[in-house]
Amino acid sequence: MPAFKDEQIIIIAPGSETTVAQLGLPESFTPPRVRVRSRMFPAEKEGEWEPYKVRRRQEGQNGEPEGESKKAGDDDDAAYEEDRVSEEGAVWPIQAGRIVNWPCFFALITHVYNSLNPPFHTPILLITQPAWTPREHERLTQFFFEKFKTPAFALMDSALANTWAYGVHTATVVDVGKDKVDVTAISEFIPHSQGRVIALPDCGGEAMTQALLSKLKSKGFNRDMCEQLKKSPICEILPAGTPLPGTEGANTQSGVSNPASAASTGALGSGPAGAATIGNIPRGPGEDTEVGEDTIPEENEGVLDVASIVAGGKMNEYLAKKEKEKQEKANAKKKGGEAPAVAAKPVRLPNSRREKATFVYEDHALLDTLKNMNLGSKGMAEARAALDEGPQRKTQEEMTDADRDATADNNGSRSSSIRREIEVGTERFLAANDGVLERIADAIHRTISAVDEVNRRGELWNALIVCGNGCRVRGFREALISTIQSKYIISPSSATIFTSEIPSNITTPTGTGTNTPQPQFGPHGGSSQVNPLLLAATTAQNPHLLPPGSNSMMPGMSHNTHSSHGQTPTSVKLVKPPEYFPEYKEVGFDESAFLGAQVAAKVIFIVDQAQSKGYMTRPDYNDQGPSGIHDYSL
Amino acid sequence: MNTLSSSAAPTAGEYAGDEVSAIVLDPGYATTRAGFAGEDVPKSVCPTFYGYLDNQQPLFGENAVHNPLANLQIKNVWGSDGVVEDWDTASKLWEYAITSRLTGRKPGDPTKNGLNDGNKAEGENGQDMDVEMEDVENQEKPLEESPLLMTEPGWNPTKAREKTIEIAMEEYGVPAFYLQKTGVLAAFASGKASGIVIDVGASHTSVTPVLDGMVLKKGVQKSPLAGNFISSQIRLLFKNTTPEIPLTPHYLVKSKTPVDAGAPPQAVYREFPSGSAPHDSFRVFQEDRVLTEFKESVVEVWPGPQRFHQGPSEEIAKSQPGRPFEMPDGWNQVFTVDRYKAAEGLFDASAAQVDANNPRPKDEHTIPRLVQAAVQQVDADQRPMLLSNIVVTGASTLLYKFTERLQNEINQLYPSTRNKLVAPGSVVERKYAAWIGGSILASLGSFHQLWISKKEYEEHGSNIVEKRCR
Repeated sequence: MPAFKDEQIIIIAPGSETTVAQLGLPESFTPPRVRVRSRMFPAEKEGEWEPYKVRRRQEGQNGEPEGESKKAGDDDDAAYEEDRVSEEGAVWPIQAGRIVNWPCFFALITHVYNSLNPPFHTPILLITQPAWTPREHERLTQFFFEKFKTPAFALMDSALANTWAYGVHTATVVDVGKDKVDVTAISEFIPHSQGRVIALPDCGGEAMTQALLSKLKSKGFNRDMCEQLKKSPICEILPAGTPLPGTEGANTQSGVSNPASAASTGALGSGPAGAATIGNIPRGPGEDTEVGEDTIPEENEGVLDVASIVAGGKMNEYLAKKEKEKQEKANAKKKGGEAPAVAAKPVRLPNSRREKATFVYEDHALLDTLKNMNLGSKGMAEARAALDEGPQRKTQEEMTDADRDATADNNGSRSSSIRREIEVGTERFLAANDGVLERIADAIHRTISAVDEVNRRGELWNALIVCGNGCRVRGFREALISTIQSKYIISPSSATIFTSEIPSNITTPTGTGTNTPQPQFGPHGGSSQVNPLLLAATTAQNPHLLPPGSNSMMPGMSHNTHSSHGQTPTSVKLVKPPEYFPEYKEVGFDESAFLGAQVAAKVIFIVDQAQSKGYMTRPDYNDQGPSGIHDYSL
Repeated sequence: MNTLSSSAAPTAGEYAGDEVSAIVLDPGYATTRAGFAGEDVPKSVCPTFYGYLDNQQPLFGENAVHNPLANLQIKNVWGSDGVVEDWDTASKLWEYAITSRLTGRKPGDPTKNGLNDGNKAEGENGQDMDVEMEDVENQEKPLEESPLLMTEPGWNPTKAREKTIEIAMEEYGVPAFYLQKTGVLAAFASGKASGIVIDVGASHTSVTPVLDGMVLKKGVQKSPLAGNFISSQIRLLFKNTTPEIPLTPHYLVKSKTPVDAGAPPQAVYREFPSGSAPHDSFRVFQEDRVLTEFKESVVEVWPGPQRFHQGPSEEIAKSQPGRPFEMPDGWNQVFTVDRYKAAEGLFDASAAQVDANNPRPKDEHTIPRLVQAAVQQVDADQRPMLLSNIVVTGASTLLYKFTERLQNEINQLYPSTRNKLVAPGSVVERKYAAWIGGSILASLGSFHQLWISKKEYEEHGSNIVEKRCR
């Protein structure tokens, strides 16, 4: 078999909400080029599926093509049109990671494959969801070989793909999806199948949307609004214990309170002085807002060893923030002359300290209704114009009293949608308040506790990868880490015992094991399983029992790893995203599984060339049948 | 497919040579293990505990049993005597263990997977009807493609065995079935055809003499002194300490604050509005999670050679470095002597913690006495051979220094023979020995000579299991 080339490789990663794919590996790995909503529409003939909603157009209309819809099929079939935006009546074949409608799923894959428009001789790498069973893998194998006649096919677990992206061999992958969360512990490139939390319900992006909905329903919000609110930069998850703006606590304490210290000590009150100083210093007046806003979270990272916490989502957030600032700046400038008194104050506050904020809502439902009314393009335009109150109103309303009245905004990228601005109060911080983070934290704890090698657990806690599009919500990663820290961190305990025993040049430990100075006890290191202070404390009582050698740190632990101090975590860290993927840096590493798949595809199809049986070839398939796929994996 | 015979090997086309995609199911008290034969570790390990809400379907799986729903009860399908009690739920639970992570909810049915849709239209109508009728039947039978090997405890009564094959054949629709005792399989996993298998699980400890791949039935010993017993011992220890050690599971804690050793916890607790709290059994189950962590990190078996209460043992123990433990609510302490007390009851009934609800365990239930009783049933000339192959399995044997103590105890009982423990170092092999043995057995080319095919079952009825699976 001839070797494969970079530009021949197809990667497909199906998801509950979005299926992404790409043909060819670029020089520098890019985010997926093809993005398809994971849904199909039943065609008129049963058993067939259409990628877009097909709408019947009434006779007697003028045949003028409309801006957002294209004609389906030939001219003689002009009574139908495709609607590329609408999602009415769609079938979503993947739910909570599981394939529930196979014919529809296959149709979706076929659609994705065709839209890539591949040449012959294209190997395919399919990213699999953890919820898919081995039998389902066989079924997929059969489908790909028999439908697409692919010359080579490989499956890769999405959790594993994430570790490839980050270039680590041991990690705990928390994949936050639409309806579910998967937590996988991977050590030395091998995912632990026992204790793996698959498809934890009520924790994904949808759960957060529903949480927002339940809080905002009384104010007339619908699900779609909440979904868009969740995706907007003003929706933010604050670290556990942070008071909401407008409440008592917010005024006395730093709004973006120090998440790490709050978490590690378990209470906000632990270091009010420190937190306050950190939070308050750099906020300058006027044009310095950018500094004022950005340094707060940034500084926290620097001061405490939480740099990696934010690293995963930093870019993403940063961009979001940037954009918002730009907007705000523009506003401030515009308003500067007109109403400085009104505008100046709220503009300078970071989102997390503002009581109210607005976001732009694209009203698809309204558009759908309009379309269903079968207005011609003229009627459509009129209707839209009626809803449109002029783009200039936007700036005025943004920071002041934008009510939820329909304010159409046509200067967006998609001219088809009708936009309006909506103001929300502090409810926007409550997306994860229904215990989403607690459930995920518990799942992580369960997953890591189920890892048999006790001495690996510390390492796994220190290598969290939080990914998936569900965690795009601002502040999600930080809040998750803070939840874990406030609930699960094992502090260097027994304080009384060892403060008396330990030489006085060691300061009293503060809650976390991560930032405690350890001058005497050697490097603590990210991979250390045992907290040295703790060991010191326990061994200090019986110094005569210890061999005087260098191994004094490990009493009785060298011969049986199982019984080393088994309690974890003593610290929690996120894995730092890799530096060398500029394209991904821009958009964030939420879809790192796809990046990992690109790395893996390069390795298994190009570098390795089937030497370590990384993929199944067509002759292999002909010999072994679908069940042979289990022999081919990395 | 449904007419496999035991006399003829499957044709290559049917099963790809000896590649029989059999499924191995090893139901235990704490977890139910399932996986494909030939693999080295079960792909599906799901808790045997299940969630129960009034008038609703039982909730299976990790995610369900750890979710604090209002009034959620946690139940187990096993009875206290080590035999399955709730058969209805058990069959569903086992099916869940297999379908959730091995086969998928709907098995790969060629008429349904969308690949043959084109051909279907061409078929004659009459034939189509038949296919569809079959479909309806097949839909209810999740395992009609795979032969099934199940494990059972050594003391499984005839009734339970017959019930098991009935479930497999009638409910799962398996084409072939075999039932084997955990003891034999654990021995297989260690590469032994003969030996004494000491299995310390969650609910029961069993000692099974195995001779040439056959269980010596009258020699099988069981006792309730196992993992759950240690848990209750730890609870008693906590209770008898002054001041009492609080045991608060994770789900009740919102956030904790570090406190000094032994100081009362300062945690923010989670409040459940009245009526929305889960059932007490949920709390017990979650407490057990903490106790498991405690067992992993603190509990140690006194290695011997003497018992803990004899001679200077306790004095030596006092001088050993303690081990710290932190509770979910932040309470923490260094455990010194106490950590040896939790598991001592396994070997020495007089050393067990007791109170009104937890009477002193019977002497004959301790592990040394079980071994003694089991060996007693074996011919005297076979004993040395068995004692040189003592297979240790079960997750509770992973307690620190357990094997050392066991070796010492057995040496004291049988000082004149060469006693050798076979205790796999890998945790997975220790925990899932019976499953791994089953995986080996079911992947052998000769597995088809053992199994009971559907046809045979239909001819002879469920009683066939007594004749064929010894």
